[in-house]
Amino acid sequence: MAPEKDAQNPLVPTVGRIIKIIDETPDVKTFHVTTDHGKPFTPMPGQLAMLSLPAVGEGMFSVTWQGPEHLEFAIKKVGVLTEALHEAEEGQMVGVRGPYGNGFPIEMMKGKDLLFIGGGIGLAPVRSLINYCAEHRDEFGHMWIIYGARSPADLCFKEELFKNWPQIPNSRVDITVDKGDENWTGNEGFVPAFLEQLNPPPEGKVTITCGPPIMIKFVLQSLEKMNYKPEQIVTTLEMRMKCGIGKCGRCNLGSKYVCLDGPVFTLAELNQLPGEY
Amino acid sequence: MRAIKKMDISSLLELLSRQGTVYVPVREEDGLVSFSPWSPGAEIAWDAGNSLVPPKQLLFPQTETIYRYRVDGLNVSLDELALDDIAPPQVLVGIRPCDVKSLEVLDAVFLTAGYVDTFYQARRNRTLVVAQACTKTQPTCFCDSMGVSPVEALGADIVLYDLGEEMGVVVQTEKGAQALAGAERLGQEKEVPLPKAPECRLSANVDGLAERLKGHFYDPVWDELYRKCLGCGICTYLCPTCHCFDIDRENRGQNGWEYRAWDSCMYSQYTLMAGGHNPRPTKKERVRNRFLHKLQYIPERYGILGCVGCGRCLAKCPVNMDITRIITRLQEVAAGE
Repeated sequence: MAPEKDAQNPLVPTVGRIIKIIDETPDVKTFHVTTDHGKPFTPMPGQLAMLSLPAVGEGMFSVTWQGPEHLEFAIKKVGVLTEALHEAEEGQMVGVRGPYGNGFPIEMMKGKDLLFIGGGIGLAPVRSLINYCAEHRDEFGHMWIIYGARSPADLCFKEELFKNWPQIPNSRVDITVDKGDENWTGNEGFVPAFLEQLNPPPEGKVTITCGPPIMIKFVLQSLEKMNYKPEQIVTTLEMRMKCGIGKCGRCNLGSKYVCLDGPVFTLAELNQLPGEY
Repeated sequence: MRAIKKMDISSLLELLSRQGTVYVPVREEDGLVSFSPWSPGAEIAWDAGNSLVPPKQLLFPQTETIYRYRVDGLNVSLDELALDDIAPPQVLVGIRPCDVKSLEVLDAVFLTAGYVDTFYQARRNRTLVVAQACTKTQPTCFCDSMGVSPVEALGADIVLYDLGEEMGVVVQTEKGAQALAGAERLGQEKEVPLPKAPECRLSANVDGLAERLKGHFYDPVWDELYRKCLGCGICTYLCPTCHCFDIDRENRGQNGWEYRAWDSCMYSQYTLMAGGHNPRPTKKERVRNRFLHKLQYIPERYGILGCVGCGRCLAKCPVNMDITRIITRLQEVAAGE
């Protein structure tokens, strides 16, 4: 029998602290989290972590990026926990456990041209992959980032969008907003239409898309129209999760659990599963 | 088989109580049968068939604390619980073969496929399973259709057989043998043939069902099967293999505790996300998920059927949802009828 006392309980978080909070948009903030012993863990791009405010709640978030000593979570205010997180100040202690999930299929992407399609807060998980590919630039082909948000104020990660990412060698960044303001000189329109207008050819590409369910639905239709094959299309799903370890039951798609077997799936894989997401 | 006079069963339980708290099926004042701690003189409901609430509650309690916390301004401290405190050794006496089979399903869920649930593992490791073979069935039983024999309990450490005046005792594991060291003075060794398996009145054919259900997710049959379900969730609470849980918390001033509690896939909030999106928005999706989970998803993921034929869900359903009839209907649909 295993020495039970030493067994790590996967449902108990490590205590960490929010060391920095960045206002991204009116309803998105990025939280930098670390512990007394440094970074809680080192996730791969696209992996998830459970973040908790004791006495308030716990939720699953994608790790949007990381430094040598901290993890970053870009979190939109939508419910009880995320509202409390938005009220929190630097120095607040939090619980963190993970990493969970499969992450993006890096090996499959190597040597390919990458087309990133993001909408709103859906850029959060994709950002971890964009930054990873920029750091491992030689391993990937051309990087094309297409991103949209409701308004200029709702664009997340503005410094990266407008400054850092356009400077990645052999890359291109195209941005759209549903509705511009008086200072906006860029494109206006929804992401799927913008995508079709730019019309990136499918040859040699892997495309990674994440955004609100309605955007994903129409982006997938556009990609199909543009002759992208289901094997070339990668997306990352969101589901309500409680345990993160495939036991509590609620994030299943058929016999797969999004917390363990996902959140990243190719469209070819999703086509084999019940469409309950 | 060792045969022990029924009047000496107390001595057997006394012996077993050296291993930990002994739980036995007891008929409560309201007539419901549940597993309760045994003490000498307690009346044991040997003839009661299944308990109302399955014995899974002694391995996976309806509510259990995960950790305690204290919030002090920006600071937080956590207190983990010692497994010795939450999982004292226990002996479950009188578990029926279907419920013994359900432990295999719970083991697969909680102990395999990526992560080990340390709470479940601690309780499971400190539990001795003493099954009772069934010599008669209840009207709602169909375990033999689900690959369970009413007179065998393969996963149990010890199996008891009602032999009339005597109780037959068969040891099946090393753990069981150790627990019965000293039982030589009780009863005597006898060559007794195993009782004949009683027949179940209900039946359902699950042959090849998991495989055949593939491709029937969008079948119109689900529009007919879900309709009478009230979404009350009693089937999930009484199911010995249902394992879904919620995680929530209780606060008392600056202190509080994070706990998990049984949850039910029949409830709309179960998959409702903070942003308002719900992947299973109506009863149709939820009923479909519950039955496919038992009959297709668990078999695909763990290689074991998710139903053990205990009959609790159909016995207690307020609108007579009957999984055996649903299986029959699904087989018809899968066969293209």
